[in-house]
Amino acid sequence: MRLAFWLYEGTALHGVSRVTNSMKGVHTVYHAPQGDDYITATYTMLERTPEFPKLSISVVRGQDLARGTSRLTGTVKQVDEHYKPELVVVAPSCSTALLQEDLGQMARASGVSPDKIMVYAVNPFRVAESEAAEGLFTELVKRYAAESPKTAKPSVNLLGFTSLGFHLKANLTSLRRMLRTLGVEVNVVAPWGAGIDDLKRLPAAWVNIAPFREMGFQASEYLKQQFGMPAVTEAPIGVNATMRWLKAIIDEVNRIGAGRGAAPISMPDLRDFSLDGLSAPSGVPWFARTADMESFSNKRAFVFGDATQVVGVTKFLKDELGMQIIGAGTYLPKHADWVRSQLEGYLPGSLMVTDKFQEVSKFIEDEMPELVCGTQMERHSCRKLDVPCMVISPPTHIENHLLGYYPFFGFDGADVMADRVYTSAKLGLEKHLIDFFGDAGLEYEEQAAEGEVPSNGTFRSHDAEAVAPPEEGDPVMTASPDGEMSWTAEAEKMLGKVPFFVRKKARKNTENFARGIGEPVITAEVFRKAKEHIGG
Amino acid sequence: MMPVSSDCQILKEDNVTHSFCGLACVGWLYQKIKDSFFLILGTHTCAHFLQNALGMMIFAKPRFGVALIEESDLSKAEPRLEEVIAEIKRDHNPSVIFLLSSCTPEVMKVDFKGLSHHLSTDKTPVLFVPASGLVFNFTQAEDSVLQALVPFCPEAPAGEKKVVFVGSVNDVTADDLRAEAEELGIPVGGFLPESRFDKLPAIGPDTVLAPIQPYLSRVCSRLNRERGSQVLSSLFPFGPDGTRAFWEDLAAMFGKTVDFAEREQAAWEKIKKQTALLNGKKIFLTADTMMELPLARFLKNAGAEVVECSSAYINKKFHDRELQALQGVKVVEQPNFHRQLEEIKATRPDMVVTSLMTANPFVGNGFIVKWSMEFTLMSIHSWSGVNTLANLFVSPLLRRESLPEFDDSVWLEGMMPAAGK
Repeated sequence: MRLAFWLYEGTALHGVSRVTNSMKGVHTVYHAPQGDDYITATYTMLERTPEFPKLSISVVRGQDLARGTSRLTGTVKQVDEHYKPELVVVAPSCSTALLQEDLGQMARASGVSPDKIMVYAVNPFRVAESEAAEGLFTELVKRYAAESPKTAKPSVNLLGFTSLGFHLKANLTSLRRMLRTLGVEVNVVAPWGAGIDDLKRLPAAWVNIAPFREMGFQASEYLKQQFGMPAVTEAPIGVNATMRWLKAIIDEVNRIGAGRGAAPISMPDLRDFSLDGLSAPSGVPWFARTADMESFSNKRAFVFGDATQVVGVTKFLKDELGMQIIGAGTYLPKHADWVRSQLEGYLPGSLMVTDKFQEVSKFIEDEMPELVCGTQMERHSCRKLDVPCMVISPPTHIENHLLGYYPFFGFDGADVMADRVYTSAKLGLEKHLIDFFGDAGLEYEEQAAEGEVPSNGTFRSHDAEAVAPPEEGDPVMTASPDGEMSWTAEAEKMLGKVPFFVRKKARKNTENFARGIGEPVITAEVFRKAKEHIGG
Repeated sequence: MMPVSSDCQILKEDNVTHSFCGLACVGWLYQKIKDSFFLILGTHTCAHFLQNALGMMIFAKPRFGVALIEESDLSKAEPRLEEVIAEIKRDHNPSVIFLLSSCTPEVMKVDFKGLSHHLSTDKTPVLFVPASGLVFNFTQAEDSVLQALVPFCPEAPAGEKKVVFVGSVNDVTADDLRAEAEELGIPVGGFLPESRFDKLPAIGPDTVLAPIQPYLSRVCSRLNRERGSQVLSSLFPFGPDGTRAFWEDLAAMFGKTVDFAEREQAAWEKIKKQTALLNGKKIFLTADTMMELPLARFLKNAGAEVVECSSAYINKKFHDRELQALQGVKVVEQPNFHRQLEEIKATRPDMVVTSLMTANPFVGNGFIVKWSMEFTLMSIHSWSGVNTLANLFVSPLLRRESLPEFDDSVWLEGMMPAAGK
């Protein structure tokens, strides 16, 4: 039994409903107590859905359990009558999974055709969000995908795009733009916006594109085995990966085309991929070579998140921006082996695998990287430590559902990432100026940053009570981790001259140094020694 | 149909609806009772709910948490919470720990009473709070929290006639209610809950309990039963009408005759611009926060036509006065959302008061919407809350008027591909 405060991954139901909320004509009936459909609010509030998410709860009340009655049969019937779905997915909750009921029998008793009912009896104690989502999507593909004549023109399916995906719409737009330039059509996007008929005609595409290791990859494997469809599974994160991705699509399309006597396609002029059609498709290669970006080579970066984004972003930072990677980690243990194999040679130590945000925060605090790429939780941990952080991974937050075009995939995505690295970290000339002149009048930012209170949830009222205020006595903010260290006023004054954005790091390094030499109090002398020892 | 004393007909349906479970009350109560810790014995689902739907970001070490039941715990006879409790005491040193039940341990038949008794010490009581979605909706578990506090309220001696307000409100509202009572010469015994566990009000046979939230029927009837306290039966203090009735009836219980007719009139006068807008508007309330009855009554008295008022739980005795005031209005307990959705689409009300889960989809369907949850978070009590209350209903109407024309076929394109043809 452990005390949980924050979770990276949602529940199995979250995964199930992300798939069904993405699809046309598919309705989830959730056999659960009142309130377990809170998940609906994440769609209606984060994605601002203008229609009702297709998720209904078949309410289980305590008195029903006492009487041994179930409303599932009636709920399935109601859902069929009111919404006329093509498929009803029935799923248990944590509590009803323990009842070991035959959900299939109860659902079929509704009189709704068994062809329209699918019981997805995932064990919510064993399976979390991403595995449940991928599992359900794969089941759906297996159930419906049918031999279909290939499209006349080269085409692909885009698999794994799912409701509440990270920068989902922008990533999809970026891929569509590149495919259009390439002259390749999109056959089906699934599950996002797909209906049952779309799943049936998945095999009509020439190639599957499944960029997410967590979602859609299994379906692409199945389609490869069953229908011989080739798959491009690398995520086009960064310019290098995007170039590889384009070449892989061209190769696969031409391989299929050769068998059909179609004319081969070739790599277009790279300018054609740019927004104006006249320029380099991405500014990143030149940006990385400019003189003031030389300081990138000293920057130590730490990356934490899901599997796909962590692999893509780590490679981008090291290979394309020339940064040092001091570590990486994932909260998805099932994908840890894949991440390790992908990042072989990139990490100085072993991959961090944990779902406890405190462990990630501790690593950041110990290492004080110049850049952290993480989830919303790392953004929060970093804010307290004055460590620059950019959010690169789900779980999504209201700020990952902005209106503007901020993809992470493709050439456009490479530009967005580089911009975010640039604006997150203190770089180049600006850094030299601040180092040289001290705070350079930027001191006010410190107070501003500490006063901010972000909210993670879907509910953001103008009333302050809706948001948890920062807790008093927060150990990270006020005390050094091991307590005891005290500073003389003179030493504090000297510390005050250190630029504010590295001040916490300097405090920590000094304390570590003092501990190392057995000094319980940081005096001006200890501070000076530490500065000399640390080398600056 | 069940007849009630007031002839108001309550239609009862099957509660297939969209709302939160009782754990939602942690969202405001942990902030209200400042020396408390709220420990939920629950699953990943409970933790994810608090984190996402309520927007409770865990900044450092908040005064609530979920003791997580994982697969390996399912086979154990009883959950062992000693270490978790020790961690909480070490980090927070709370005066009280509320142990909230949730659905999974209730299905597992965890003996919560025994468990909380076992974990309790004189210094730090651990109080069992039934809150699971198997029984409790949204605000309703506040009732359980207050009941858990009852044994810790000192006994007020017979003859000590004071009012104790029942329901958590923010400090500003509490101060306001206290000042109003004192002005009327009504001695104030305090609030249940106060903002600290060690400041609970004394309650005895001559205490008058004045419920200020409409979802606290059980704690009131329990205090009536156990301590012989009298429970004020009136309207809830929302809007000029409710506020007048509340104070007049409360004063009467203290043998004072108060006539607030003019004050009520002045309060209506103050919001006449708002009521002019509400007048004749058809308003539909789906079930969510259990504040629906008094809100609908205010709307009705403000001139609106309440086409349906639904609520998850209606207590004919506790809500008697509100039900009387709602005569002629269709009142539904435990409504069926599918039926409501079809009726709303067919009858096109001017405004739908509804939950977070359904608000934006109603807007997408062309309706003007008010989020019901806002009423639980705003100061809408008594005279000083009248303006806020009226504005909450009026602001979506005004906002819609101030926005340009909206062509669905253009501006909704691609927003939700799953909803496309």
